[in-house]
Amino acid sequence: MISKLFLFILFFCNFSSASNGNNENNYIAIIMFILFVTVTLFITYLASKKSSTADGFYTAGGNITGLQNGLAISGDFMSAASFLGISGLVYLTGFDGLIYSIGFLIGWPIILLLIAEPLRNLGKYSFADVVSFRLSQRPIRILAACGSLSTVILYLIAQMVGAGKLIEILFGLPYYSAVMIVGGLMILYVTFGGMLATTWVQIIKAILLLFGATTIAILVLFQFNFDINLFFNEATNIHKKGVSILSPGGLISDPISAVSLGLALMFGTAGLPHILMRFFTVSDANQARKSVAYATGFIGYFYLLTFIIGFGAIILISNNPSYLDGSNTLIGGNNMAAIHLAHAVGGDILLGFISAVAFATILAVVSGLTLAGASAISHDLYANAFFKGKQTEKSEMFVSKIATIFLGVLSIYLGIIFQDQNVAFMVGLAFAIAASANFPLLLLSIYWKKLTTKGAVVGGSLGLLSAITFVILGPVVWVDILGNTTPIFPYKYPALFSMSITFLIIWIISSLDKSKQGVSEIKSFDAQYFRSQTGIGIDTKISH
Amino acid sequence: MVNKNYNKKLKALIALRLKIVRPLLCITILPYFCFIGVIAFKPEKFSPLIFNTHISLGIFLGLLLILLIFFITIRYVYLANKYIEPQINAIKNDI
Repeated sequence: MISKLFLFILFFCNFSSASNGNNENNYIAIIMFILFVTVTLFITYLASKKSSTADGFYTAGGNITGLQNGLAISGDFMSAASFLGISGLVYLTGFDGLIYSIGFLIGWPIILLLIAEPLRNLGKYSFADVVSFRLSQRPIRILAACGSLSTVILYLIAQMVGAGKLIEILFGLPYYSAVMIVGGLMILYVTFGGMLATTWVQIIKAILLLFGATTIAILVLFQFNFDINLFFNEATNIHKKGVSILSPGGLISDPISAVSLGLALMFGTAGLPHILMRFFTVSDANQARKSVAYATGFIGYFYLLTFIIGFGAIILISNNPSYLDGSNTLIGGNNMAAIHLAHAVGGDILLGFISAVAFATILAVVSGLTLAGASAISHDLYANAFFKGKQTEKSEMFVSKIATIFLGVLSIYLGIIFQDQNVAFMVGLAFAIAASANFPLLLLSIYWKKLTTKGAVVGGSLGLLSAITFVILGPVVWVDILGNTTPIFPYKYPALFSMSITFLIIWIISSLDKSKQGVSEIKSFDAQYFRSQTGIGIDTKISH
Repeated sequence: MVNKNYNKKLKALIALRLKIVRPLLCITILPYFCFIGVIAFKPEKFSPLIFNTHISLGIFLGLLLILLIFFITIRYVYLANKYIEPQINAIKNDI
């Protein structure tokens, strides 16, 4: 099957270079990409022996080190969309790109200070393990799986559509085959290699991406003798908006949107199932803590680089006709700023390298997402919600593989359906759901003694539904996509409202819950808290 | 598992964790929402160039915020390894 896929890729690569005649840089990109795929498929083959058990499949055996996990987390989080999107936003607006960079980074101290250690101490394979630790398994698992799956699927659609378009431009591949190659490789990695292969795909990709972005940034700054002052001066002289690119533009206009976006970014990261799942791959809370510190370092450094790259693109390519089309915009759109800049400072070799890295980046991110989605189906829904832990490990593994293939095919299908739609709002919606449903459930189940199943189920579902409803009725979907004149819900970002609904409803219902079940759930908090704080009682993983 | 003998040590552990986490949480949340607040209410405050350079106050503070986030994570790992871990180990040894 693997060799067939290879032939498939080679066929399309040949086809592409024949079809657009473009040529040398394309070959470099293709050679580098094939090298990446060969190495990662080989790793998948090696990992396949260890991925037949539940531990191996969900957590890579639990022996990943803090540094490795930190790299893998950053590999999971630094998507092609954020690399190209944020450097493109900086290229276009200057300062406003920084607002997003900081927003995507600010969630990490929150995860570190509030979530990482108790999560590792209480859970085994998914964050639902933690939420359902002392609450009723079936309803909580179903709710957590809904939250996970909606986050994962929205994120997957955004990644798939972005991937198809990007690969179409970079490699000259038709959109359909690009989406199918991404989907096909992702299914191979996850089904056969599970978490171990996914982790190594993410680690390799993180190193390549950091190396590539560092190279571009150094080559750019080298032209200014590393004089940052001169660098910004040059950028303001060249950009048509002048010095105003150094201050806030129109990205956030009203205070409610500002706070709402801020909340979604700050707490959404701590509710992303594919990120949370990574904490079960390390041996204990100590390593979990180290993973976040490393990940924050890598991700923060990466955003500093995208900032330099965006400004570098203003200086070096915004006036260069070879990167502009007839109407003086970048060929392929603003998101291509980093790609064109790579060519401007490093020629065909760097362009090829960065193109291959962008492809690898997409693969790593979608693999992590699919794995998280598959475990929500097999571990939370199949094993715990429906079979209440009475299933065999073998059948659970079988379901996880079917779920992976199902999600892979679904994301290819949705990627094709949404080809011409504006999918930029989907990542925002995924963050809003993560912040309004997954994060409150996780936070309150860890820290709030009086949380009961009833409160969690009603509040969590309302949070999930309200985030989705507000986005659909808001300006982006209701007006821009559905073509209505005025939005029913006036704000672009729902998190302020949907998060408030979740916390408020959970608080009211849990406080009113005087049922026998509720009382016993409150009673079992102390034992859970003891374990979450000390890690006493967690499975110790044996190295093998 | 929760026994009265450990309760004292557990309480000390929770108090210690709170003492370490709370200030770090404050210097994460407050500066970030101040930053977002200025952008929303008084964006022009971020425009002036600082120290006779071509770097604006907004960019300077934004980059400083990124460095602050680095600092918070490193500081927490340092404090947790130095103070929290030994207390957890003490509780583990009791059991």
